[in-house]
Amino acid sequence: MKNKIFLNVLVVFFLLSAPKRVYAYLDPGTGNYILQITIASLLGVGIMVRSYWGKIKSFFDKIFKK
Amino acid sequence: MNSKELVLEPSSFRDPSGQVFSVGNKVFRKISYSYKENYDMLMGSGLYKELVEKKLLVPHKEIRKKIEGKEDVYKVIAPEVIRFISYPYEWSFGQLKVAAILTLQIQNIALKHGMVLKDASAYNVQFLGAKPVFIDSLSFENYNPGETWVAYRQFCRHFLAPLALMSFIDTRMGKLLSDYIDGIPLDLVSELLPKKSRLKFGLLTHIHLNALSMKVFAGRAEGKSRKKLNKEGLINLVNSLKATTESLEVKTLKTEWSDYYQDTNYKKASFLKKQQMVAEFVGKVKPKMAVDLGANTGVFSQIAAKFGAYTISSDIDSMAVAKNFDSLSKQEEKILPLVLDLTNPSAGIGWRNLERKSFLERCKSNDLVLALALVHHLAITNNLPFEYISDMFKALGKYLIVEFVPKEDSQVIRLLSQREDIFKEYNQKNFEKAFSQHFEVLDKKLIPGTKRSLYLMKRKR
Repeated sequence: MKNKIFLNVLVVFFLLSAPKRVYAYLDPGTGNYILQITIASLLGVGIMVRSYWGKIKSFFDKIFKK
Repeated sequence: MNSKELVLEPSSFRDPSGQVFSVGNKVFRKISYSYKENYDMLMGSGLYKELVEKKLLVPHKEIRKKIEGKEDVYKVIAPEVIRFISYPYEWSFGQLKVAAILTLQIQNIALKHGMVLKDASAYNVQFLGAKPVFIDSLSFENYNPGETWVAYRQFCRHFLAPLALMSFIDTRMGKLLSDYIDGIPLDLVSELLPKKSRLKFGLLTHIHLNALSMKVFAGRAEGKSRKKLNKEGLINLVNSLKATTESLEVKTLKTEWSDYYQDTNYKKASFLKKQQMVAEFVGKVKPKMAVDLGANTGVFSQIAAKFGAYTISSDIDSMAVAKNFDSLSKQEEKILPLVLDLTNPSAGIGWRNLERKSFLERCKSNDLVLALALVHHLAITNNLPFEYISDMFKALGKYLIVEFVPKEDSQVIRLLSQREDIFKEYNQKNFEKAFSQHFEVLDKKLIPGTKRSLYLMKRKR
């Protein structure tokens, strides 16, 4: 749960702000772990949505036909 | 093996698993005991066999000999020698792209055998003609389920970042790789890329979010124990990198040189005659290796390659090199197109300026230099005296096929129309005088239908 909130905050923050210059030395490993898990989760959701796409589409088609 | 003859490769210090060294022109690699488990897994799991059979990894032989004066030697391997070492900042867009895809393909095959790539450095890929091959047999380590990909960020910096910059801004952005030896910093890439690049999911996540996360997490320690990345997630991540890489393209813009042959002043018959004359000269030299300078899209490199020479087909124009590479068959093993500015050839870079060798250093054993329709550009556009040009060619190879284009030629008239003619010394007599200091003229012919001359020269001892 905590991770999900964090992810949302991260995405919102990202969309709102243009990256600013950071001159301090950054360790290339920083955030590597959480980042990969975050991206893999997003990809996982994407793949799931794609595999159920037919069903989702027909569900909405039915609603709008009514 | 005598330790006195042993030369340690200056770039081989990053990886404690083993060291690369050479004896004469043979290359060897020491494997340390710390890498024993991983090496045995590479060889025993069937991974090595699959990669070598598919020609994705350079094959090696195990040598039994011990190395004098060296401790901690588990094994010594002798990898097949690469004909010419080239670097990512000399590759065209297409070359960097196939090298990136090769790396990801190897990562996926490794995972199938229970291993992963611990490095995704672009320097681990070399070209055999047009074919990319992975050269670091010590880059594999056992996969621990739940682990993220340790080489993920390196892949982004070494491959995805330059490819995105080349695709979204300009193919010349590839040169940035020579300033950043461990790949282009992602915060810089994120700033340079246009906003529209964020509309691409792969770049939004692997470049922009990646750069941002480094800033967000700066100075924080990461708890590794909380959540794990399952194998499926890892495969999805790698496949996403692959799909993003594959989706990047460059627009084929018209550049200074890429239409040069359509635009030349002399007739097709003369151009064909020139090709025959070059072929005749190459046939006399029978070179094992050739460097074609100002090769454009590689018409004359093809001739050298036909005579069996491993040919470096170089040009300053990254778009012409891209066209050259794209036109080669994927099976081409003799022609290696490279982006090279002869007025500022690749320097020695990295630690002590020795990690990545200069272009001249790598040309030391070259047999033949092709310099066709080039000298007038160097002399007139770049103000280089004939002596300087001759001196440079001397350093690049034993034999030289060079074309002299006189002032009356329409190409030279065009060059001079843009500037004051300060080149009173530019004539055939002075050209021959300057070149005869370092070279012996073996043959000289006028190209029919033109005022140009073609020379075959041999370097003086």
